[in-house]
Amino acid sequence: MLASAAAAVGVAALLPGRLKPKPTPRLLKRLATASSSASTPPSPRSGGAGVEAEADTTPLFLRPAAHPVAAASLAAFRRRAAELVPDSAPHLHRHLRWLLADAAARDAGADPALLRAPLGDLESLWLRHVRDRRPFQYVVGNEHWRDLVVAVREGVLIPRPETEAVVDMVAKVQGFEAGWWADLGTGSGAIAVAVARMLGPEGRVFATDVSEVAIDVARLNVQRYGMQDKVEIRHGSWFEPLEDLKGKLMGVISNPPYIPTEDLPGLQPEVGWHEPKLALDGGKDGLEHLLHLCEGLSSVLKPGGFFVFETNGNKQSEFLVDFIQTKWDSSFRDVEAVLDFADIKRFVTGYRR
Amino acid sequence: MASRLLTRSTAARLLSHLRSSGALSPTHHHHHHLDNGAALASLLGLGRGGLPAAAGPWSPRDPPTRWFSSPATVAEAPMTADGLTVDSIAGKGWTILPEAESDWRSHAAAVAQSVKLIKKRLKWGWILERSRQLSVVLERPDLWDDPVFAGKVSREHGELMGKIKSVNQFEQELMEHIDMLRLAREEDDNELETETMRALAEMRRSAKEKELNALLSGDNDSCSCFIEVQAGAGGTESMDWAAMVMNMYSSWAQRRGYTVSIIEEMPGEIAGIKRATIKVDGEYAFGYAKAEVGVHRLVRISPFDSGKRRHTSFAAVAVVPILGDGSTRYQIKDSDLRIERFRSGGPGGQHANCTESAVRIVHIPTGITATCQNERSQHMNKASAMAVLQSRLDQLEIARQAQMNADHTQSLSEISWGNQIRSYVLHPYRMVKDLRTNYEVSDPDSVLNGDLDDFILNFLSTSLDEAD
Repeated sequence: MLASAAAAVGVAALLPGRLKPKPTPRLLKRLATASSSASTPPSPRSGGAGVEAEADTTPLFLRPAAHPVAAASLAAFRRRAAELVPDSAPHLHRHLRWLLADAAARDAGADPALLRAPLGDLESLWLRHVRDRRPFQYVVGNEHWRDLVVAVREGVLIPRPETEAVVDMVAKVQGFEAGWWADLGTGSGAIAVAVARMLGPEGRVFATDVSEVAIDVARLNVQRYGMQDKVEIRHGSWFEPLEDLKGKLMGVISNPPYIPTEDLPGLQPEVGWHEPKLALDGGKDGLEHLLHLCEGLSSVLKPGGFFVFETNGNKQSEFLVDFIQTKWDSSFRDVEAVLDFADIKRFVTGYRR
Repeated sequence: MASRLLTRSTAARLLSHLRSSGALSPTHHHHHHLDNGAALASLLGLGRGGLPAAAGPWSPRDPPTRWFSSPATVAEAPMTADGLTVDSIAGKGWTILPEAESDWRSHAAAVAQSVKLIKKRLKWGWILERSRQLSVVLERPDLWDDPVFAGKVSREHGELMGKIKSVNQFEQELMEHIDMLRLAREEDDNELETETMRALAEMRRSAKEKELNALLSGDNDSCSCFIEVQAGAGGTESMDWAAMVMNMYSSWAQRRGYTVSIIEEMPGEIAGIKRATIKVDGEYAFGYAKAEVGVHRLVRISPFDSGKRRHTSFAAVAVVPILGDGSTRYQIKDSDLRIERFRSGGPGGQHANCTESAVRIVHIPTGITATCQNERSQHMNKASAMAVLQSRLDQLEIARQAQMNADHTQSLSEISWGNQIRSYVLHPYRMVKDLRTNYEVSDPDSVLNGDLDDFILNFLSTSLDEAD
């Protein structure tokens, strides 16, 4: 099991264009012009003391397996790592299994095993994961999403399983494969890559993000899947990079920040302590960016064009449906809230008249 | 007594089925696909109070037992320049010589005889009358007020007209060749005469194929089929006989180029089988095999009797057409599924970091479930679970079809043990005789090795040609 998983990862690394990674699209909007890289806010518990910045920003699972480790040492690490798992978090055993699958090349049972990082680094990564609640996806540098393995790192929102459904919605649009699509706030580029892989020869995706870290990661994922000819990545805030595409888009997709600012302190530690605030903070009532997106929709979509926004859930989506129907009834039709797999009204969709 | 009566009704159903109409192929291809029209009886029973009074004196549920040619029919029959028709040619008593003899009268007589036989097999008078009745219905101004009924009538009429046109065209072709031949002789045109004679000879061969096609004109005749064999009472000897019968059919089907697969088999305690079902895949498998329905009787010195006494054993045979595409793929509807995934219980989405990717799918009508958690994405786990569920439901469908076959066979055995159709005698003399046609051969081994076509074709032609 572990050996074959490691082999799959190894093969995947060698054949980036044929991988089956899972990219996640996320919206990142800066509230203000900022420095080139958004660093993770320090967590209250770690305080930053003793935490060393990673020298290598390449996701772990994409690094070359250049570190030989004796099988006995690897087994000892496995035992120590397992002992750190508290009884209240049994899912961490699964994470350990996946970490070793991603960190080892082809044959994890070999002696010595070839790892993608020194064993000491793995220890440090595991400790931060268990103790500091650093997201597992940042530990291994990827998230499996739909049939993709999406590279992610600090500063980029991790793709959510709920968002997988957005791609299915796009595929139901009549003639979607020949259209031009926009993924606003693309984050890791997951949605952009997934949609691009479904398009015909004339279809295109324009992926925008205000975060330079997100732009870098999205570009990496687009290249890994060989979608450079179909996905054009543009740096900028929401619609600003799309001035030349007004009235031409068949669809607009966005997963903007939608958590109300007042809810941020109560977020799960993996999210609140480690994921980029820019990708989470939806402002007052979580509607700031969603309302902005509604404002710009009618000018970029062509008649019959489709839009889908991910939202905070029932209250927010119901408000948006009512808002769009009231204010822009002459511009949009069939505006409705769509359920996610937990029966939460997660999405708002509609068509340009 | 009761079982005897049931046997007669079974025979009646079989003959009724054999009398179902089918299309006569105008092409020369032996296994050309024939149109399967809707069953006449079902249309006769349509719930609009039946057909109008113009339908005539016959009961709408029973085909008439005899037909009278109307003057219009005679007037419509194709004829030569000097008034010859198929009927008059057949009535002249011209000698039918081997095909190689270049005698136009011989060829014409052979073709005319074939056409008469084809018409008999198609129940010609019946389809002429039926098409006239349907024409009257089609002219009613309020017909399309009921589009379903109108569609049925229109389709049946189209099918019947197709058959009528096909036969008439064939007759017309014969008349034209006769006229052409006479013209060639008058004009001393040897080339034309040779060509026409060749065309007449070709029509003889084509007519023979059409005769056979007319035997396989039932609604389901072109289908593949299941053949089921069940041992009668008598223990080991009967089970051994049932196995021999099943092997006979497997051999027959393979000889004809059909694909044979074993669907179900219940072995006997010591030898042979209690019951078995094979699938015979190929065009017209059912059309031919339906001739084998009934009880087969074996007389031999049993190899299982240490006293070397003669035993009589029975095996019952049922044949079921495989309708549609024969697929066993179960059609899953999204609305029948419940897809369960890990839920954090909270608002989800950006609020939560989730690495739980297990997915469980429940097929609500059957309660069958499939769970997958090997993949690291919910999307992939859902796809894997769907594949497992599809496989489980397909297996269920195959089992259900096998059960339907078993029910059919069980039903057959209750009512058909008196319906003996063929005797296979290995001792004290050797003979296989069909009790329905009296056709017999003296080489049981070749029959048991699958040489059944003569028995089948004799039965098919006898049962159809004896009508009226």
